Amino acid sequence: MEYNEIDIKNGIRLHSINTQKFKTNLISVILTTKLDKENVTKNALIPVILRRGTANLKTQEEINKKLEEMYGASLDCGLDKTADNQVLKFYIESVNDEFLPHNDENMLKQSLENIFEVVFNPYLENNYFKKEYVEQEKENLKQIIEGKIDNKARYALDRCIEEMYKDQPYGLYKYGYVEDLKNIDEKNLYEYYCELIKKCKIDIFVSGILDDKIEDLVKNNENINKLNERNPEYIMPDIKPKKSDQENVVQESMEVNQGKLIIGLDLSLDNEDLRYDAMIYNSILGGSANSKLFQNVREKASLAYTASSTYYRFKNNILINCGIEIENYEKTLEIIKQQLEDMKRGNFTDEEVENAKQGIIAAIKSIDDEQDTEITYFFGQELSNNKLDIDAYMERVNKVNKQNVIDIANKISINTIYFLKN
Amino acid sequence: MQIIENSKVKEKLYIEKLENGLTIMIIPKKGIQKKYIIWGTNYGSNDSTFIVPGENQITEVPKGVAHFLEHKMFEQENGRNSLDVLTSLGVSANAYTTNNHTAYLYECTDNFYEALDEFMDYVQHPYFTDENVEKEKGIIGQEIMMYDDYPEWKVYLNALECMYHKNPVKLDITGTIETISKIDKDILYKCYNTFYNPSNMAMVISGDFEPEKLLGEIKKRLIDKKANGEIKRIFEEEPKEIVKEKAEQNMEVSKPLYTIGVKDVPPEEKEKVKKHIALEILLNILIGASSELYKKLYDIGNSYSVPSIEYEFDKNYAHILINGQSNNPEELFEMLKKQINKFIQEGINEEEAERTKKMIYGEYIKEYNDVIDISRMFLSDYFKGINSFDYLEEIEAINVEYLNQVLKDVFNEKKMILSVIKN
Repeated sequence: MEYNEIDIKNGIRLHSINTQKFKTNLISVILTTKLDKENVTKNALIPVILRRGTANLKTQEEINKKLEEMYGASLDCGLDKTADNQVLKFYIESVNDEFLPHNDENMLKQSLENIFEVVFNPYLENNYFKKEYVEQEKENLKQIIEGKIDNKARYALDRCIEEMYKDQPYGLYKYGYVEDLKNIDEKNLYEYYCELIKKCKIDIFVSGILDDKIEDLVKNNENINKLNERNPEYIMPDIKPKKSDQENVVQESMEVNQGKLIIGLDLSLDNEDLRYDAMIYNSILGGSANSKLFQNVREKASLAYTASSTYYRFKNNILINCGIEIENYEKTLEIIKQQLEDMKRGNFTDEEVENAKQGIIAAIKSIDDEQDTEITYFFGQELSNNKLDIDAYMERVNKVNKQNVIDIANKISINTIYFLKN
Repeated sequence: MQIIENSKVKEKLYIEKLENGLTIMIIPKKGIQKKYIIWGTNYGSNDSTFIVPGENQITEVPKGVAHFLEHKMFEQENGRNSLDVLTSLGVSANAYTTNNHTAYLYECTDNFYEALDEFMDYVQHPYFTDENVEKEKGIIGQEIMMYDDYPEWKVYLNALECMYHKNPVKLDITGTIETISKIDKDILYKCYNTFYNPSNMAMVISGDFEPEKLLGEIKKRLIDKKANGEIKRIFEEEPKEIVKEKAEQNMEVSKPLYTIGVKDVPPEEKEKVKKHIALEILLNILIGASSELYKKLYDIGNSYSVPSIEYEFDKNYAHILINGQSNNPEELFEMLKKQINKFIQEGINEEEAERTKKMIYGEYIKEYNDVIDISRMFLSDYFKGINSFDYLEEIEAINVEYLNQVLKDVFNEKKMILSVIKN
């Protein structure tokens, strides 16, 4: 694997990953802009409007037929919240020429042209987005937003984060808000899109069997060529001490058979480097089948099937997640709090620390075995401007010891306890 | 080992059937860090009535035993839990149960052989006690309740209930709280001894391996066990007709979920792969991303995402499932039926068929990116009597005549059902 970065223009960066491991080429165009209430819903609409038609392929049927013709290339778009940014992602995955019946298809070039066309050259009518597309996608988005109740476990998690970040950017729902939709039309949305494309951070990732022509292929593309230089407007993840004085307890009722208990923890870190210690802490607390939560809530007390925790490294939070009988709320909470307490007191072994490290290192080692994981990894580094190659990353994880983990445990406080019941 | 090479995707399969009946398949992947192993038994939730080799009488066990066994296999006599041991080695281990097989697996970068010691030891040494069996009922009970909150799962099960009178494919893989309450350690041992015989099992490994060396390492870790005879599995005869056309259930969902099913007869042995590919092509032409019908549904605000389509089959059942979310599933169901009739009358368009074939060819190639996808695919195809490479080989020969034939044979209005979950 060979990784290269080059600025096509100020604020527009090409990341090329030359790898022989895959049957496919994966290209990703990522637009990053700061999260705010005013634009969150518009940002959610942009990718789906762009997917509807381009200047040359005016309808989604035409786009889809083109993709089918390209041996089932897939073109997806998605939304993420990363630190206090809203991230608009576009992907195209296509089979490498080497595995096609005719190897003169130039699939990489075709894929680049297609994805740039979708993102930067939308279909317009009377100089704006097509009205019909905007109205349909508003309705579609409305249904997606209303659909957040469908997956109860996911809903509980989102609600806990919303409670933890009330009136702050990270508390915003990434798909936006139904009440904002009525003020959006094909004109103001297109005007917003032009602003976004002018100012946002643009990252282009190309992974596959590449040669040195890749840079020119991107640079000389007319849709890339027409983009302006910029000082991109986005938020670098920062690290600041935070400690909640009081546990915020929230309970909600819905038609559920199983209660969903989510506990949001704050990590008060004052130094970037502590994130590696926090990863190990999380792994011991609830990151694996050996973890305290899995062992004590599930295996010993038989209270849950799901009992785990996840570390949100860009925001320094850990979210604990359990699906339990509703009547077992108090009992489960008590066991979980006991685990947090045990971590503080150092009631875990060096062996547990070593095991956690091994698990994390195995995951790091296989980063370049998956194209999308590798892109996500490099993008995370890009955003935090913390360039660490895979070996250095592993070395840093390897340095963590038990005392480091205890120190982390003592920087942790419960922010919110959220329970979804019937 | 026998070597089967595929020139299209440029991969090799090394395969060997050992004397004890165990089949081992290795797909080497040079330069990949990740290693994956999966060991499956041809025993799933459907197999609850059977004759143990050497016995005459029929054994019938409660629904959910295969899945219960999967949970309990990790516990060892020395008090250790193999899942913990494997996790400690930095490998990521898991297991799952389907209708027709149960599989144990792990993924790792380092410590492959240390993990193989534990892995092959625990799958070959069950340890069940009254106490550890009772404890698991609480955990599985929560798993069942978790699925009860998944509308996607409910809409699927209700669809199967519309299609099947007798076949156990319609039942929950986990069993129910009631059926699992009847499970005890004797039942678990009986099922283990019957189905976890090497002759009923297969192992697939993919990663950067030297196949002959790996085979030797696996053989070393096998305990001495003879192949047993054929396990006779008993299924009540399934009528060709559906049970009922429609099912509806209320759950708190923002927009209705639907599953449309088409009940089919199990494919002829020789035709399995060909028919599977033909149905994938047909379903894409009918209601895929570039289809006329999907465009109509989008424009009238009925559906905003392409339905997922699937052909599920085994020796004693076969059906098509079309899943998605729709603001009006009834309308979609009627429009689909009309479109099918139109295609039956007018025939499939050749250009469209060729374009869809290209797309499906590309999708098959993409399956070979990841050692996990490769291994799982070879295992589940193996239990259906299929070599996964066959899909790449047989697609070319599929023509419009064959597509039209399958279309007429399978898509019968009287065999179609609609399951809906809505508010």
